[in-house]
Amino acid sequence: MGRGAIIGLDGVPHGLVEDLAHRGVMPNFRELLDEGVLKPMRSSIPAVSAVSWSSMMTGANPGVHGVYGYTEFLPGTYVVAYHSSRWLKAQPFWRRDPSKRYVIINLPATYPAGEVNGVLISGFVAPDLERAVYPRQLLEELRELNYKVDVDYVRASSSPLLLFKELAETLKTRVEVCRRLVERLKWDVLVFVITGTDRLEHFLWDAYRDERHEWHGEFLEYFRHVDEAIGEIINLLEEDDALMIISDHGMEHIEVNVNLNRLLEDWGYLKLENDPKRSYNAIRRGTKAFALDPSRIYLNRVGRYPRGSVEKSDEEKLLGELTELLQDFKWRGRRVIKRVYRREELYHGDAVDKAPDLVLVPEEGFNLRAGLFRGEVFEREEGLSGKHTEWDALLYVRGVEGDAVPDSPSIEDVLPLFQRLMEGEPSEAS
Amino acid sequence: MKLHNAHKTCWNCPAAILKGNVDFRACGQSLEAIRQRIEREGLLIECARLPDLGHFEPTITFEECPEWRPTKYGYLLENMRVMILGIDGYLGWTLALKLGALGCEVSGVDCFLRRKMVRELGADSVVPIYPMEERLKAAKEVLDIDIKFRKINILDREKLGQFMREVQPEAIVHYGEIPSAPYSMIDCDHAIQVQYNNVIGTLGLLFLMKEICPEASLIKLGTLGEYGAPLTGRPLFEGLFPADAILRWRGREWSLGGELTPRDPVSFYHVSKVQDTFNIYEACKYWWLRSYDVMQGVIYGVHTDEVAADPRLRTRLDVDEWFGTVVNRFVAQAILGMPLTVYGEGEQIRGFIALEDAMECMVRLISSPPEPGQYDVVNQVSGLYKVSELAETVARVAAEFGYDVKIQRVENPRVEADYHPFEVVSTKLPNELGFTPKVPLEVEIRRMFELLTQPHIVERIKKVAHLIRPRTWWSGEKRVVETLEVYRPGTRRRRGFKPKLITDRERFPTSKMEEVERAVEALGEGGDGDKG
Repeated sequence: MGRGAIIGLDGVPHGLVEDLAHRGVMPNFRELLDEGVLKPMRSSIPAVSAVSWSSMMTGANPGVHGVYGYTEFLPGTYVVAYHSSRWLKAQPFWRRDPSKRYVIINLPATYPAGEVNGVLISGFVAPDLERAVYPRQLLEELRELNYKVDVDYVRASSSPLLLFKELAETLKTRVEVCRRLVERLKWDVLVFVITGTDRLEHFLWDAYRDERHEWHGEFLEYFRHVDEAIGEIINLLEEDDALMIISDHGMEHIEVNVNLNRLLEDWGYLKLENDPKRSYNAIRRGTKAFALDPSRIYLNRVGRYPRGSVEKSDEEKLLGELTELLQDFKWRGRRVIKRVYRREELYHGDAVDKAPDLVLVPEEGFNLRAGLFRGEVFEREEGLSGKHTEWDALLYVRGVEGDAVPDSPSIEDVLPLFQRLMEGEPSEAS
Repeated sequence: MKLHNAHKTCWNCPAAILKGNVDFRACGQSLEAIRQRIEREGLLIECARLPDLGHFEPTITFEECPEWRPTKYGYLLENMRVMILGIDGYLGWTLALKLGALGCEVSGVDCFLRRKMVRELGADSVVPIYPMEERLKAAKEVLDIDIKFRKINILDREKLGQFMREVQPEAIVHYGEIPSAPYSMIDCDHAIQVQYNNVIGTLGLLFLMKEICPEASLIKLGTLGEYGAPLTGRPLFEGLFPADAILRWRGREWSLGGELTPRDPVSFYHVSKVQDTFNIYEACKYWWLRSYDVMQGVIYGVHTDEVAADPRLRTRLDVDEWFGTVVNRFVAQAILGMPLTVYGEGEQIRGFIALEDAMECMVRLISSPPEPGQYDVVNQVSGLYKVSELAETVARVAAEFGYDVKIQRVENPRVEADYHPFEVVSTKLPNELGFTPKVPLEVEIRRMFELLTQPHIVERIKKVAHLIRPRTWWSGEKRVVETLEVYRPGTRRRRGFKPKLITDRERFPTSKMEEVERAVEALGEGGDGDKG
């Protein structure tokens, strides 16, 4: 069995890569297009990195791996807990086959970094570098290189100039770390993820779409660096090493934000005490449903939450009501929600009982978010211009023909496909 | 009715380590430099005590959290690590025992400077106090309290830092200052010593806290004397102006809300406390430290249940002109048969609090930490009295013990107004921290007579008798003050201004607070019941 590498481009839509490859901004990718297959890929639902990368690293449905978003409540409370790799109920690939040696750099949703045969440096969100690195002996070297898991958000949001500076520095260091590790260690599987792409697109998606945008040139320049980085990583590989390039979700322009909790309040399903400081602890008895980011709706079940108010016998009726209201919900005559999923339509596995009751997929331009304690249902976005999409992540496989890749692949297909590639049997049929 | 701090959350808890804030809009961008942007939504912490909870929003209330246990003084963090600087002192030792009895993990430092200073002036504590080693042993034997002590001068930042790293305090009570106005007025050397020890000691501490335990709250002893006694009659607000305080000038108006109120210190010692106030205020602003600056009234008394439990556990009591506070001096003078020395007209009004009440306030403050970055001030006072009134009260109680006491007016060696209005605002302790004064003036004075009239203590008082009458003049002069008038208690007509203490307690009736305390006490001694 040979070696294999996956390069991740967080949040990069299939269409953007195709576009920039053909416009000469990403010449390395242009060459790759001739050597393999590029297809759009379905992300997880909801399309957030914690969920989609968890699906990628386990090859499993959220109903199996148990991660439905960046946030959950601590059991039996309304206290918002933030994602941890400990939430993962399914084994990631490096645990499943510990006989292989892994170099995994900047893979999101792996913090805190657990034990691995090789090296694991977690991607965002990683509050402490110390716990983002396995083995810990690497820490000193990373600190000397000023390795950062993520761009410094304060600096980045204070000025686009600083954002681009942060992005360039972070990428450069990340590639350098990868080069050192790959040259130093004997490895079987390399995973290298670039996450600055997602950060840039969130802040300045409009700079990509609009050629007259003040930062259009810099936007393209960053993707030139990304392309160079891809080239450098590929140069570290042998020719017969398997190679996949993937993203975890796509991106599109935010037209308007939709605050789901505000909406549920307006419809009378959510009742809050007037104290934003208490966050979800402000949920009052009588609340039937609430939303967690980005588009998950939960029934406030009796027995599950401190002030649970939905009896089992009422669940079906409530879900029916909500589905109908959400499907008919409009903004300036346009439908807001493309699809309301019941959890059983999306998820299957032992962890389904923790899944949201409803998950919403919006129409283009609508940025769904929990939006607790917001004044209005619809709010213009100030500060960000890009939002995730579910349908146009990217999947590239080197050295195969088109039929080796499923027609409408999903992020859950990445791991099985990669394993087949490593085994030299790219096609499921072969 | 809930305990006063039931609603406080992880946001106030020293076990909550800030990990940044998360922008949920953009797939969880993490913000390391949270201190630059205060946004409640998306704030992320980790619990040092319950690390298995991972990262979460700081919204668990003290009432809900298993680490906070109900006591009669409010919820208290279980085994809370409290470090007392100046643990050998009058207040430090008393508080150490009280906290230990409540289940806190008490640590403390002292370099015995107070013992040394008092002895150098030829005086001594009239209540015998034991060497620290004996004190610690007795605390263990009698009260089953382990206190971690280290002999450290707080000016030695390296050693103090080492100890702080070792202990990782969750609250620091700073009593490690030289607490005497007359001492600071003896001469240039003493003024410099007081200011250097107090100001530089505190400044160094702030830097250490920033580095070692930024989540710990600093409960710093200031003094009501920082404010002075404004002759305009302006109330002494609690450190900061309330929102509805208005400055009017040439027909225009501004709100003063949130600004520090003026300070008008009345000695070089008081100046050191004011400088501390500003240093702490800035540190909270720059580094998100959190602090209560306690503007304590003049303290008096000898009693808490813990210090009274064994003679080896007694706290010191000074009656000399430098370190003896006024009530303590009066009681000693009464026992000696000396007329009580009132400076000047005796119409000066000051705020006071009994030792036991002050200790309760401190526990309540420790149990209710401010928010990160919050600098808060409490006026810790339970009554306002004129000096001549205090003399009358001491004389009255002395009579119960068979002492026939006179009062003498002496020259006032200080620079202070004889007649002045005095209005003190003290609303936070009674209303936000659930404190009700428990010890009336007469009750504590009685306790003092009971203790100080014991023969071995009377002997000790006699030895320092010559040091009670002041000789330290603010002018720099060095001579014992002359008597202006001697009179019998109850014969002098009161003049001047009436003090006014604003507590707003009528808005928050104490009966309810007491109801809560009774309920908690029913949980058991120390109130360490389980919340279930």
